Amino acid sequence: MRHRHRRGHGSSQGRSMEDEQRLEEYLETLWYLQEEGRQELSHIKDAVGEAEASHLLLALMENRWVRVDGDRFCFEPEGAQKASQIVRRHRLAERLLHDVLDMGPDQVEEDACRFEHILSADATESICTFLGHPQTCPHGRPIPPGPCCQRFVKEVTPLVRPLADLNPGQQGTITFITPKFRSRLHQLSSLGVIPGTSVRLRQRHPTFVIQVGESTIAMDADLARNIFVRSQG
Amino acid sequence: MDHSILGEQGSMKKLLLVGNPNVGKSVLFSSLTGRYVTVSNYPGTTVEVSRGNARLLGRLWQVIDTPGVNNLLPHSEDERVTRDLLMEEGGHKVIQVADAKNLRRALLITLELAEMGLNQILVLNMEDEARDLGIQIDVHKLSEVLGIPVVTTVATRKKGLDRVIQSLEKMRVGSCTTSFAPEIEQAVADLEPLLPEAPISRRSLALMLLCGDETLSAWLNARVTERDVARIEQICRALQTKYEEPVAYVVNRQRLLKADQIVDQVMRKGIQEFPRRFQRIGDFSMHPIWGLPILLTVLFLIYLVVGRFGAGFLVDLIENEFFGQVLVPWTQKAAQLIPIAFLRDLLVGQYGLVTMALTYALAIVLPIVGTFFFAFGVLEDSGYMPRLAVLVNKAFKLVGLSGKAVLPLLLGLGCDTMATLTARILDTKRERILVTLLLALGVPCSAQLGVILGMLGGLSMGAVLIWAGVVMATMLLVGFLAARVLPGEEGAFVLEIPPMRVPQLRNVLVKTTARVEWYLKEAVPLFILATLILFILDRIGVLETLQSTFQPLVSSWLGLPQRTTEAFLIGFLRRDYGAAGLYSLSRQGELDPIQVLVSLVTITLFVPCVANLMMIFKERGWRTAVSIVLVVFPVAFGVGGLLNHVLRWTGWTP
Repeated sequence: MRHRHRRGHGSSQGRSMEDEQRLEEYLETLWYLQEEGRQELSHIKDAVGEAEASHLLLALMENRWVRVDGDRFCFEPEGAQKASQIVRRHRLAERLLHDVLDMGPDQVEEDACRFEHILSADATESICTFLGHPQTCPHGRPIPPGPCCQRFVKEVTPLVRPLADLNPGQQGTITFITPKFRSRLHQLSSLGVIPGTSVRLRQRHPTFVIQVGESTIAMDADLARNIFVRSQG
Repeated sequence: MDHSILGEQGSMKKLLLVGNPNVGKSVLFSSLTGRYVTVSNYPGTTVEVSRGNARLLGRLWQVIDTPGVNNLLPHSEDERVTRDLLMEEGGHKVIQVADAKNLRRALLITLELAEMGLNQILVLNMEDEARDLGIQIDVHKLSEVLGIPVVTTVATRKKGLDRVIQSLEKMRVGSCTTSFAPEIEQAVADLEPLLPEAPISRRSLALMLLCGDETLSAWLNARVTERDVARIEQICRALQTKYEEPVAYVVNRQRLLKADQIVDQVMRKGIQEFPRRFQRIGDFSMHPIWGLPILLTVLFLIYLVVGRFGAGFLVDLIENEFFGQVLVPWTQKAAQLIPIAFLRDLLVGQYGLVTMALTYALAIVLPIVGTFFFAFGVLEDSGYMPRLAVLVNKAFKLVGLSGKAVLPLLLGLGCDTMATLTARILDTKRERILVTLLLALGVPCSAQLGVILGMLGGLSMGAVLIWAGVVMATMLLVGFLAARVLPGEEGAFVLEIPPMRVPQLRNVLVKTTARVEWYLKEAVPLFILATLILFILDRIGVLETLQSTFQPLVSSWLGLPQRTTEAFLIGFLRRDYGAAGLYSLSRQGELDPIQVLVSLVTITLFVPCVANLMMIFKERGWRTAVSIVLVVFPVAFGVGGLLNHVLRWTGWTP
């Protein structure tokens, strides 16, 4: 990804990039703790160590993102909003790397940590839409919904999903084919199966059979899971 | 063979029919050419190419029906043969046949032909079906855009044939080509000066090379210096690093986008759904539930044609009536005139060329294989076989194969040797080895199957079921284990399913004749060779020595009489002959029911015949051939012995 992000908008207040990234990491840490129901202050110490814990709390409280109630921490509305967006970017990035680029869960984690800081709001929305507004990350934790997901609630099915998830008789337009089966790409394209092509699923068992124009093509389930379509109902 | 044609008729212009599979090339070919058509395998392949002569517009043409292709960037052996035919020599002309219903995919090829710089016309066939579907194509506009004559036909009704012939005069090189992304165009420009003169354009050659077409390397190495080959490879590699996806895919996509643009300009599609009769049958034959009864019906019909008519009626007629009553007695009489006993035995003795080699080749195997080829041709032409592959795909996964493997395995019931050759249609080397192994291990050829079923039928239904069960279980187990041992990934399979059609009798007959010819040319010499070897082994006493060497294994482990060793030995020379040897033993009352069952299971699993082994050796290399023998031999005797002891222990009588 050679995505260059323009920084400087929002309430950076002259903070350096490292500072901002550190704050984002802090918010993310607290979001995870909150998700696990571990909101006592002692849990912060367990998570990041004693010295770092006070740093973290002070910095976040200074920005009025987090407050302390007795021995527990709470997100302020702005902080909660910010934290959920960071986690959302992180987990969407994981989904993208995992589903589309076919990376293992371990690699996914590391790269997603970098993505979460650089994705713009627009890019995040596009990725979310592209992936069909997924609900969870590859590790099964919830992805906080964004504005695009709220709009999407009105529609019933995700926009983009594997061909293998269609029901027999349903149609879709291919959006992309993962390069997992590199050796098959040539053959598929010779048969006219490329992104932009409209396909109809004819049967799922015992083997997937699709209809592309006047061509009928049988393929393994494995391959059908790696062809993504935008469904047309 | 090609050269001899060139030598005799060098001045004859060649007319190549090129197009996607199942667009009606063969039908158009039949209408254009006369009665005398030759079907031969393209040298070194299993791909069949038909040739015939035609007098069109007052001159004689050689018309060549090329194998169906989806792309002239070869991916399959069929595509490679067609591409090679196009490259063979300059000056020939191309009739591209297209399914009017599937213009987009045809245009992919049209664009490639234009790029190659070949003179062509485009024939939009099945124009009636397209019209029924509400597809309207502006032929004049299409002709304008492509810069070549475009005509519509309904080949099955010979409609539009005159238009095809008339337009031969106006053949041209297509003017519509694809421009690719700047990186690709740059690489093409870099490659062109390095490439040799060829009957097709340098641009098309450059694109093939950039797309990683390895089939060209031999051709290239023969014409370009080593230094240039290295530079060409370097340019190709450099381009690939710029793309995440294979360059071939990128190029195909850009071509298809161009095709889509053309389609948008010339085609209008209504939204009529047109129910096609045979499509329903086709859909049922792939259905997880209905597919099974259809499969059983098909198998039963094959059994009727091959088992009853071929192996029963025809073999009886030829072997008993002709060979038994006429040919053999006559030769024996004639042989009496030969004063040397040795020569007499060589001709009509126990292992004689007439009594054994010819009787087997022509009287027993030919009718069975011939009817099998016919049934197989009908299946091929109907479009059922790919549907069968869809049906069995999941079950085949268990043994590391894709559904496509059902085709060579089925063909193995005709002749394992030929089936081993057709394992080439499989995508991965791993699958080809697995299929070769399973063919060698457990698939009995038609002749052997006939003898086996004849023997078991005399026992009981239970015996047939035990035999089939044990053989299939062994194949499954060995396949399952081999799939885990063999390296390489499982190929995810992609298979185009052609429309279901009523088979064209002429098509089937032409193909059957060509294959029977092939059988006579390839197999009969091997029969004669095998018989000679047996004759010599018998003469010098080796046959007897071998029998006593293997005696312990045969008598104590398998529990069989000593004379069965002979059957196993000749079973190696000819699988079916081994079974026939057992047959005669059991008829003489030398085998009890358990012995019959054990010996038949053993000989079914036993090593393939010499011809098959030679084919394995040729196709898969000696390492694989030796490994297969090393697996098959112990498995055959292991399973046979085990069955013997289990049956004796349980006291079950078949």
